[in-house]
Amino acid sequence: MIEVKDLVTHYGETKVLDGVSFAVKRGEIFVIIGGSGCGKTTLLKHMTGLLKPTSGTIIHDGVNIVELDEEQIAEVQRNIGIAFQSGGLFNSMTVGDNVAMPLREYGKVDETLVNALVRLKLSMVGLGGAADLMPGELSGGMRKRAGLARAIALDPPVIYFDEPSAGLDPIIASGLDDLILNLNKLLGITFIIVTHELDSIRKISHRILMLDKGKAIFIGSLDEALNSSVERVRQFFERRPDEQMAQQGR
Amino acid sequence: MRIECPQTLDDASGRKLLDDAKQQTRTNGTAITLDFSKTESIDARGAAWIVAVADYAREKELQFAWEGQRGNVADYVALIEPGLLAKPQKAKEPETLITKLGATGIQVWEEAQEMATLLVESIYWTAIAPFEGRGFRWGLWMDELHEMGVRAVRINFVMNFLLGLTIAMMSAAQLREFGLGIYVANLVMIGFTRELAAIMTAVVISARTGAAIAAELATMKVQEEIDALRGMGLHVPQFLVAPKLLALLIVQPCLTAIGMIAGLAGGMVWGVFVLEINPGAWLAQSRDAVVLRDVSQGMIKSVAFAIVIVLIGCHNGLRVKGGSRGVGLMTTRSVVMDIFAIVVIDMLFALLFYYVID
Repeated sequence: MIEVKDLVTHYGETKVLDGVSFAVKRGEIFVIIGGSGCGKTTLLKHMTGLLKPTSGTIIHDGVNIVELDEEQIAEVQRNIGIAFQSGGLFNSMTVGDNVAMPLREYGKVDETLVNALVRLKLSMVGLGGAADLMPGELSGGMRKRAGLARAIALDPPVIYFDEPSAGLDPIIASGLDDLILNLNKLLGITFIIVTHELDSIRKISHRILMLDKGKAIFIGSLDEALNSSVERVRQFFERRPDEQMAQQGR
Repeated sequence: MRIECPQTLDDASGRKLLDDAKQQTRTNGTAITLDFSKTESIDARGAAWIVAVADYAREKELQFAWEGQRGNVADYVALIEPGLLAKPQKAKEPETLITKLGATGIQVWEEAQEMATLLVESIYWTAIAPFEGRGFRWGLWMDELHEMGVRAVRINFVMNFLLGLTIAMMSAAQLREFGLGIYVANLVMIGFTRELAAIMTAVVISARTGAAIAAELATMKVQEEIDALRGMGLHVPQFLVAPKLLALLIVQPCLTAIGMIAGLAGGMVWGVFVLEINPGAWLAQSRDAVVLRDVSQGMIKSVAFAIVIVLIGCHNGLRVKGGSRGVGLMTTRSVVMDIFAIVVIDMLFALLFYYVID
């Protein structure tokens, strides 16, 4: 469904991604993990067409989005949902209007259905009573869930989610994980999720890609990751600090 | 009233479901029960129409229930259940004129208190605290001098020059008819020293610096930088307001003086090249028209304008609520309040100079 081949990208002189290749299958929950600053969010921005890589290809349903112009990429982006780390809500609109925006812009649906869809999507993410609130009145977890409601407004087959559980309490984070699993199971949505929350990874991931210093060092299932021979992968799942940091702590 | 749901519930069949529900409950019926026993699949739009049926039932005060769901359909209905059960939010009570006036009065009073507190604290941290050894951010003050002053010279000069040119142009058209063209020099000189340079410079600084102060502090508030400062036990007026206030107190009179020169230059260009008045005669006429008190009027006002611009910018920046929208609103509010305050202060100074002191 989505195939990334030999992706290389630079920020100035610094190489952020170095020949990353992998494929995401339809209907799976694909989790991208790695330490802070390893290029996870950059990779997500490339896959959603928000950034152009230095070289490499990103194939969405047979189309290489790296070669597309802005208009063509916008066409691809209409068929994907993106849920941002802080929600990415428009502060000047109510939560309901935020969710309704893609429906009104692209959905070509009458207002009765728009209102029902807004209530439905917000209910799905547990924000049934929040339609009339402004984003500034929401907590961090509510903003993330409202962002997800907007991302699923047009029922996209693929949703990209940046750090869904970061900064949330365990109860809300677990609820969000359940929601991702439900949407995946019931609606068949493919999720590509960037996270480093171990509990979430254990609960939701079908397959895992681990990045380290811009390279893909592991691709496989959770069981394979837990029994991996790659030291960095084991260190990640065992929450072991780097030697240097451990010595500083002593 | 039992309504049987179709095998596949999508946009078209969902829409029909709502129409059926409306039709069947139009004359009689106190309840709607959706029967999902034959439904095998539901998509998002079909689910949205179920929510619309639930909304309709709620609106008409009919009982709403559902039954017979199995397998995936049961899971899906469970997922959307909060949407089916959610009660519409209570409409807010309409505000009366009295409650509106009361709320506005309270808000104005609270703002006045906040501004007075900010003014007192800012004066303390600018004029008293540094002499008590409590610290002043001289580095930031230097940066502000450059940003507020040096970088504003060009636009301020151009604006005042053009205003001087316009004033000369318009007054000459009247005075020339009486053969009093040379008195345009008096008008421009007195106008700019007493009034116009101070006002035009204050408007330029309000739009440029006042807006920047409000936007900077509002963004810092939104990004929790202000909370971080307070959390470290630092004083916001000391850390952020005092360097700006001291910088503008120095810069504003300087820019006003430049504005006076620019306005006179603009007027002189029109006088010399269009009215064909000898430059020496124009300069002599201008010099004789003005006394030191005229210049001091403009300069004293500029100091008051500087205090008001910094205070209003900081006050609005620190009051921001919400995100980017709030930053935009507070920046606009700051410029509007600045210009209103500038005009009011100018009027008060006019009263003072012409009716009290004279």
